Amino acid sequence: MFAELINPYYLQVASFMLINIILGISVYITLSTGQLSLANAGFMGIGAYTSALLTIHFDLPIILGIICGALLAAICGILIGIPTLRLQGVYLAIVTLGFGEVIRVVFVNWESLTNGSVGISGIPHIGREMLKSFQGFGFNPSAIGLQNNQFIFLSIFLLLLAITVFIIWFFRRQHFSRVGRAFAAIKLDEKAAESMGINITYYKVLAFAQGALVAGFAGAMYAHILAYISPADFAYHRAVEILIFVVFGGSEVIWGPVFGAFFLTLMPEVLRFISEYRYMIYGLIIIIMMAVRPQGLIDINLLNWFKNKRETRRQKHGAGNQKDM
Amino acid sequence: MLIEQLINGLTLGSIYAIVALGFTLVFGVLGIINMAHGEIFMFGAFIGVMITSTLNAPLWVAFAGAIIITAIMGYMLERFALRPLRHKQGVSHLAPLISTIGVSILLENLSHHLFGAGNHPFRASFAEISFQIGSITVYLVQIVIFVISIVLMITLSFWLGKTKAGKALRATAENLETASLLGVDTKRTITMTVIIASAMGGIAGILVGMAFNSVTPQMGLSMGLKGLAIIILGGMGSVRGAMAGGLILGLAETFIVVYGDSGYRDAIAFLAIIIILLIRPQGLFGQKIST
Repeated sequence: MFAELINPYYLQVASFMLINIILGISVYITLSTGQLSLANAGFMGIGAYTSALLTIHFDLPIILGIICGALLAAICGILIGIPTLRLQGVYLAIVTLGFGEVIRVVFVNWESLTNGSVGISGIPHIGREMLKSFQGFGFNPSAIGLQNNQFIFLSIFLLLLAITVFIIWFFRRQHFSRVGRAFAAIKLDEKAAESMGINITYYKVLAFAQGALVAGFAGAMYAHILAYISPADFAYHRAVEILIFVVFGGSEVIWGPVFGAFFLTLMPEVLRFISEYRYMIYGLIIIIMMAVRPQGLIDINLLNWFKNKRETRRQKHGAGNQKDM
Repeated sequence: MLIEQLINGLTLGSIYAIVALGFTLVFGVLGIINMAHGEIFMFGAFIGVMITSTLNAPLWVAFAGAIIITAIMGYMLERFALRPLRHKQGVSHLAPLISTIGVSILLENLSHHLFGAGNHPFRASFAEISFQIGSITVYLVQIVIFVISIVLMITLSFWLGKTKAGKALRATAENLETASLLGVDTKRTITMTVIIASAMGGIAGILVGMAFNSVTPQMGLSMGLKGLAIIILGGMGSVRGAMAGGLILGLAETFIVVYGDSGYRDAIAFLAIIIILLIRPQGLFGQKIST
């Protein structure tokens, strides 16, 4: 019964959805200081290539590879973040876009290392490695009534789910902390924030590095789940796709990108006939959203509205109970 | 050899300059980066292909057709993607940028459906004609491209500097509200600017089709990104900067192919802007912006 419910295809889609959610969050973090970064696809590529190459050539455990990939992406984020700090708004967007493009060109041309535009295949698969290590402990998936294949995809999904929940939890905590308030202040008015004693440079670079770290991590996971990467995976279209998650869902609260990534990954899978026109629909979504609801579907007002509704309902129930008593 | 490469570089550079002019006009007046410009340019190229090879019409018809269609596209862009965002309270300054990214995705995939993903050859009747001057070979196509671009640039400079409409445009670029108070119909000026910029993109599209003899849906993106790099290099909103930046990039790319690694050709533009933004953030010809 339990085993029949687990369809590897659905789990695969769900895993990519989680990766997209993580990517959406990475843009949300930098955007929460008012900086639009289009380099996150590039950071994702750095994470993916680093982890893939390290695990293939140096036989590093996947976990170390992923950590190295994410850290290298964060370092690149700091290196790019510091000089671009003096740029604002549109300039920053273009420079980060250019940076992403430079990364892609390097991946295509550094053939001795990256195998050029053909891409790298045979990357260790995280699910299979997990299965192997479980089997090493004498555990067999059939013990809980699962086929190996199902176990692989289920373990990936659960791992990603745990990580995604952790990331959301972490950044929600951060949002209500000193750092989050500093981010919000910088987003509202940089000069006012500076005069209030907030070290803008530090917080802006911090936001940039956090975004790059998360994007690099998502890239590394992507590489180990798909087991194949090529420069085209991390090009302009990926950058725009990530941006759409945030634009569509909303960039004010963390649930915006989460919902955006969830909905926009699910839509082409559910509506098969749409997937051919997917990007055209994306384009239309962006135009319409910007004209009608530029802050995205989910904003603070909507969340408050939900909260109020829930509270009034609770009060009503409470009153009803008292009457009964 | 050197002179031939110089000619190649100037031909490429003059096309880049025209693409960049489209960006810089819109930025100067609206303060918006029009990410859809590359795709409008690509549509211009496709219309040129359709008219010359499917209808077998002469080249000037192709130019006229491309100008008309891209001008209409420019109007639609302004009407549906930019105008709704103007005068709206609480809209982030990034909203128009994101909106034009939406238009660019829409147009790119629309062209996939309309024209197919493949490569379309561009047949100009005089593609093979070349001259021999001493040891140098010059193709007629190159001369045509160069002449058209130069004429276009001179016309634009004259129009901006001397005519009433051009002055209105510059006044609007300087300060929208003041221009409006002084009796400039800013709404019309803005629409006109976007239309002219798009039509120039269409012309550039045909020129690129002639120069490289191939048109693909992907060319809009790469050309658009280069155009962006050029206006940062030359200075945002500066007409002279766009022309000079275009020529510089064209020459730099040609020479890196000859003397360096051709694979990194597409990266030069971005390395150049990263460097220029660190040394001289306002660009080569830009005025110092107070931050």
